[in-house]
Amino acid sequence: MHSKQDKKPSIIWFQGLTCNGNTHSFLNLENLEKLLDKFELLSHPTLPSTQDFKTITDCTLICDIFIFEGTYDPLMKRNNVLVSNIIEHYSKYAKYIIAAGSCASFGGIFRSSAPQRNSGILFVEQEKSGPLLSYERKVINISGCPLHPQWLSYTLNMIEKGNNIEIDSLHRPIELYSNLAHHGCTKNEYFEWKVDTENFGEKEGCLFYKQGCRAPMTHASCNKILWNEVSSKTRVGTPCFGCTEPNFPRSNLFSTKTNMSIPEDVPLGVPKRNYLTITGIAKTFHIKRLEGKLIDYKTTD
Amino acid sequence: MITKQLINQIEGEATISFDIKDGVVDFATIAFPHFRGIESILKRKDALDALVITPRVCGICGHAHLMATVRAIEDAYKNAGYRVELSKKVEIIREFTLVMEIIQNHFKWIYLTIIPEISKLIKPNQKQTPLKGAYAASIASKAIAIFAGQWPHSSYMIPGGITTDPTNVDILKVESYVDELINFFEKESIGISLETFLSFKSNKNFGGLKSDISFLENNLMNLNMDKKGFAHDRFLVLGKHTFSKPLKIEQTYPTSSDVKYVNITEAYSLNQVSYAKNAQYGDIFYEAGPLSRTISNNLPIVKNIYRRSKDSAYTRVMSRIFELATLLQHAKNLLSKIDISQKSYTQCMDISKITAKGIGVVEAPRGPLLHLTDIKDGVIQEYKIVTPTQFNIGSSTKENPTPVQQAMRGTTKEEALFIFRTFDVCSVCTTH
Repeated sequence: MHSKQDKKPSIIWFQGLTCNGNTHSFLNLENLEKLLDKFELLSHPTLPSTQDFKTITDCTLICDIFIFEGTYDPLMKRNNVLVSNIIEHYSKYAKYIIAAGSCASFGGIFRSSAPQRNSGILFVEQEKSGPLLSYERKVINISGCPLHPQWLSYTLNMIEKGNNIEIDSLHRPIELYSNLAHHGCTKNEYFEWKVDTENFGEKEGCLFYKQGCRAPMTHASCNKILWNEVSSKTRVGTPCFGCTEPNFPRSNLFSTKTNMSIPEDVPLGVPKRNYLTITGIAKTFHIKRLEGKLIDYKTTD
Repeated sequence: MITKQLINQIEGEATISFDIKDGVVDFATIAFPHFRGIESILKRKDALDALVITPRVCGICGHAHLMATVRAIEDAYKNAGYRVELSKKVEIIREFTLVMEIIQNHFKWIYLTIIPEISKLIKPNQKQTPLKGAYAASIASKAIAIFAGQWPHSSYMIPGGITTDPTNVDILKVESYVDELINFFEKESIGISLETFLSFKSNKNFGGLKSDISFLENNLMNLNMDKKGFAHDRFLVLGKHTFSKPLKIEQTYPTSSDVKYVNITEAYSLNQVSYAKNAQYGDIFYEAGPLSRTISNNLPIVKNIYRRSKDSAYTRVMSRIFELATLLQHAKNLLSKIDISQKSYTQCMDISKITAKGIGVVEAPRGPLLHLTDIKDGVIQEYKIVTPTQFNIGSSTKENPTPVQQAMRGTTKEEALFIFRTFDVCSVCTTH
């Protein structure tokens, strides 16, 4: 346990090839100040921190928690120092290494610009063969494009309290990623009865059958721990693109690949044949309430 | 003597090479070292996938990229001979979320960039409260997320509309966030009502105020920033919005601008590797962004400051704060015009039937953002992105300097580093 007399755990937040999306997502955290009070921020891309960037790239200090954001590119330099040397130094001495976002976790979007060399820090997509393999026991992946601020704050709080963080085979905290993005989706009833939506921009219908929604196959708590505390992609009719998974970004993101009008990828863990059967049956039902409009506004068009 | 300076705590990283003569900057070049290859990632992808990929160009203005993409694809539809119908509701909601993204950007820039930077130049330091910027930005993000599902990295705009179909419950929630932001701005930033602030006739109205912004204004004046940091006195707006119109202004004389004259040239930097390219209008460098937008909109207070202080660092900083104020008011106004009974989406022709080029132009927080796409049978053949920082913070020769290079000339290195930040640098956008 971390007592008050102890030194606060120190953090270095360091970036590889990134859009800064995880940094900005983290700034949205409610009670950010309270969380930051528990740590000593040695370096951060935007927040005030105690060390200048040159000191960080000189690798003359160490930190307790090393947060890496962005895709790892072995040829990349920061302040003329190879990122590979920098992450080796901090990883060696850190107690925890956090991959912030899908790029750092699995390679993400910026892996595709140079797939022969770019990767996550521990994983190359789902394969554990990244540069921090020798420190794998320290690595926690907070995947997501971007990461959810509360997912990172959970991880930091657990570390600060000295609690154990259970992780899955892809090194993601189980308490955050055992859920599917589908859990808590407000369109669940349409999914249950296999009522698809014809078009975008409607309150009714499920996005799984035509619009490419990956929520039933994606480990994420987006519909449980809401985005910006208020919503999620599927709640505003945008399909889930599966951004927490190692194969993000996939292709043809706005359409569902189907086989005889049944999605080729079925909900996670459900036997395909059983799914086809139940879908076939459900589709024969006619549930008037689910076929009509939920709200009929008097049009003024 | 040439000295190199690493710039971080911007969006990404940059280095400036200063050539100092007699204690002042004679010339400076800028290099952006990191390259991510978004344009090549987009090649051979389904055109609609760009709606998911391009917001990932930038963590702070990804929404502007989303809007540029949707406009580019819709333009390709039109060029291919297919209609794209957008309801008034769609246009207003898209515009609203874009405006909120500019607002979150400006709040962060004030509290996380410009106040900390000015504190390096002045004794005693101005009190730094960076988390105020993060707080205000998080409220703006909530307002975006009600419509867009999340911020950053939403993909809720699609050709023909938006994915969301909001209810009055949503609109009321968004209204309350905008009110919270206005309240925050009045109490924490300016210390007076928004209305009073927007009715300022000149900077003399700051006299007697004690607030974050009045301290900033005072410090800028004490540092003579109204006599430093002049760029070319030429302004460019390219995006067409409810808050901007395409104009270029030279010697206070406005004429219409057209994106077809935007010209991309190689950057010049002293012994440094840079992946940035310069953006010009014709073969001339123009300043873009909040200063250009507020001048082209004839915002009285900014026009007044400009008459006295031209395009100085002072005018550039203050124009951004006044733009933030006008946009807060504008956001409220936009919300009041939403008719939720209108359509959120009108189906377009299947994307696989589209073979055409399209251009999408928007005003991002830092200025014009251009997306140019070439689609064949619904698949991207070519995708080009031109970002605001390429207009303002290019790196050219001594004879033909970019706006930021011109603005840093003749100042001390410390002043130049501050002036550099007044343009609000986005390295990640520049080297997309």
